[in-house]
Amino acid sequence: MDFELGEELVALRDIARDLLAQRWKAESARRALDAPPSRMPGELWAELAEMGWFGAGCSEAGGGSGLGVIAAALLAEEAGRALLPGAMTSTLAGAVALDRNGGAALKAELLPQIIAGSLPVTLAVEEPNGTWGPDSVEVAAQAGAGGLKLSGRKIFVADGSSAGLFLVAARVGDDVRLLPVEAGAGGVEVVPMQRIDAQDIVELRLDGVQVGVERMLPDAGAAHDAYAVWTVLVAADLLGSAGAALAMTTAYAKERVQFGRPIGSFQAVSHRLADVQVNVEIGRSLLYAACLALDERRGDAGALVAAAKAFIGETAVDAAEAAVQLHGGIGYTWELDVHLHLRRARANAVTAGDAGWHRETVARHMAHCYA
Amino acid sequence: MDLKFSAAEEAYRLRCREWIAANAHHAAAVAKAADPVQAARDWQRRLWEAGYVGLAWPKAYGGQDATLTQQVIVSEEMARAKLPPLINTIGLSILGPTLVLHGTEAQRRRFLPRILSGEELWCQGFSEPGAGSDLASLTTRAVLEGDDFVVTGQKLWTSLGPIADWCFLLVRTDPSAPKREGISYLLCRMDTPGISVRPLRNAGGGVHFSEVFFDSVRIPREHLVGELHGGWKIARSTLDHERSGLSGVISLEGSLERLWRQAAAGGEIADAVARQQAAQYWIELEGLRYLGFRALSDQLAGRQPGASASVGKLFAAKLRQKIARAALDNAGPYACLTKKSPHVVGKGRLVAGYFDSLGYSIGGGTSEIMHNVIAERVLGLPRSSGEA
Repeated sequence: MDFELGEELVALRDIARDLLAQRWKAESARRALDAPPSRMPGELWAELAEMGWFGAGCSEAGGGSGLGVIAAALLAEEAGRALLPGAMTSTLAGAVALDRNGGAALKAELLPQIIAGSLPVTLAVEEPNGTWGPDSVEVAAQAGAGGLKLSGRKIFVADGSSAGLFLVAARVGDDVRLLPVEAGAGGVEVVPMQRIDAQDIVELRLDGVQVGVERMLPDAGAAHDAYAVWTVLVAADLLGSAGAALAMTTAYAKERVQFGRPIGSFQAVSHRLADVQVNVEIGRSLLYAACLALDERRGDAGALVAAAKAFIGETAVDAAEAAVQLHGGIGYTWELDVHLHLRRARANAVTAGDAGWHRETVARHMAHCYA
Repeated sequence: MDLKFSAAEEAYRLRCREWIAANAHHAAAVAKAADPVQAARDWQRRLWEAGYVGLAWPKAYGGQDATLTQQVIVSEEMARAKLPPLINTIGLSILGPTLVLHGTEAQRRRFLPRILSGEELWCQGFSEPGAGSDLASLTTRAVLEGDDFVVTGQKLWTSLGPIADWCFLLVRTDPSAPKREGISYLLCRMDTPGISVRPLRNAGGGVHFSEVFFDSVRIPREHLVGELHGGWKIARSTLDHERSGLSGVISLEGSLERLWRQAAAGGEIADAVARQQAAQYWIELEGLRYLGFRALSDQLAGRQPGASASVGKLFAAKLRQKIARAALDNAGPYACLTKKSPHVVGKGRLVAGYFDSLGYSIGGGTSEIMHNVIAERVLGLPRSSGEA
């Protein structure tokens, strides 16, 4: 038994943390607020591809690291910590989803391009119906002579204006399936949604888009599995936000002097930070558990993914709010990075399902276990 | 990264489970015995003879030299089978590891096997009326007179006080030294003249603790553990033992399942608030479980869990209290009837569990102190007072 990160994973995380700290400054995330969306420069994207990161969560057979979903989650966590634009995390999720659920031909065609960085990918699941996830998908693919035909609206599609490929969840017969749709295909329109953290979130309008039946992901559970992978990566991004907000505030509490003492020596301050630390550790434990359960395709994977997302989402918002409060007046300014984490955490907490929605998933799991 | 047990470990678990099944009637007899203390001692001895007590301890002193994973397996199986707790738990969890680390060879041979077998029951004399969280301010005095320490003072919150054979205690041996440098660690027979024990009834009405009074009690010098005036560091070194562990997760699992069943009709909780609340507790319990696996993995890899144990203790105490309180809330006014009421639900166990839960954020280091430990030792924040 070993439930801590092995050497390779620790090395991947450390390299990612160092590299992102050098290549992407919070200042860029702040500037993007006035000129959205937040996008990384082409050379940085190419460098990430060069490092092989886009295949981090894929199997060796799929051209990836073979280290499991956890490897993708560690990169997503560092992206959150660094306030990096979301495209890497969306592409990681798409790559893992294809690797886990794609047919041989589709994988052979798409995965090498995705891992090489030439085909950014994202999931398109949510619709304007007030809830989340594949079960609430209403967009239905119509079978016709030319294959499947897609019409309808997808919203809150992450990193949509830079994506080259959308994995669109749609009803095909009784099931919700995943259909690959190229960004340049006829009938595809992308409309920015303008999120508070300047992330590239879009509405995807589909008007009679043609998809060959043979390109549909073969596994009937692919949409749910892909959504679970994406959810866990959003949770990882949130954990990175929480860690960054905590580290920033802890450092400030050590140096900021009031009443002749560092404010971190006051228990009203230190105990609030200790609570954030406790929640970050519990959240990290849930994140690792969810990744492992996905790798092992265990029956409780869905409940653990939901647990991780619900808990870490609330933890990250708490951490960012604590950061604003404990920095005092300076924490309420545009120039400090605190609000950048609050914006990202607040928005990601309600991305890929909010805490209440995920707790309902957990409640169904409990009813099943206690039956 | 994996949570799999090896084939040998799974076989070990199976043998343990079979032994528990074969001995279940002995476990069940403990609660019904006319002499419950003797029955509990007999049960501990039976477990020890089967190799399920003192797993971490050296074989030379009656232990098993078992692996950490085997310890986890045994504690999981014992909790799952709801076996009665080991009566000598304080000796096993605190004094035993202390003597292994700091005792003389003679002390280890004299005391360790009898802790394991339950032949000698131990109680702890650390806290005092004026020394709780600030334990180092304790004032029970010990003066060397010839070959004996003469001890005078009062100890508090002593579990098993009326039935213990021995007590391990902290005493002040040098009142002029800084407060942590004048403390010694002594072992004392409870039938020594000058000792009196007064049972202490807790807020829930039960009697778990007692006060122990020392009036010129003579303790032979050979029962000093470690150096004279060196007791504080020795006591500190085993406090973390008390805080770590996965065993709490299994008892919380039982509490949560009872909470669900209490609120559910036809297997489902219909009330949206109660349903979300129960789900949140499940999430927190899983977080605690996997935090425990991470701590265990650190230990297996030779990394000290250290202050991270405080994270688990703090979080577990709070979760236990939330579940216990929710169970009371769900039962409405019926929950607040005594067990003698004809209208009582659950034989009064909800209230008992609620009072019991409140003790978890006080005993073994209060939650306020756990916050300090995390702030100072994990986050590296400046100390909130001159000391910690």
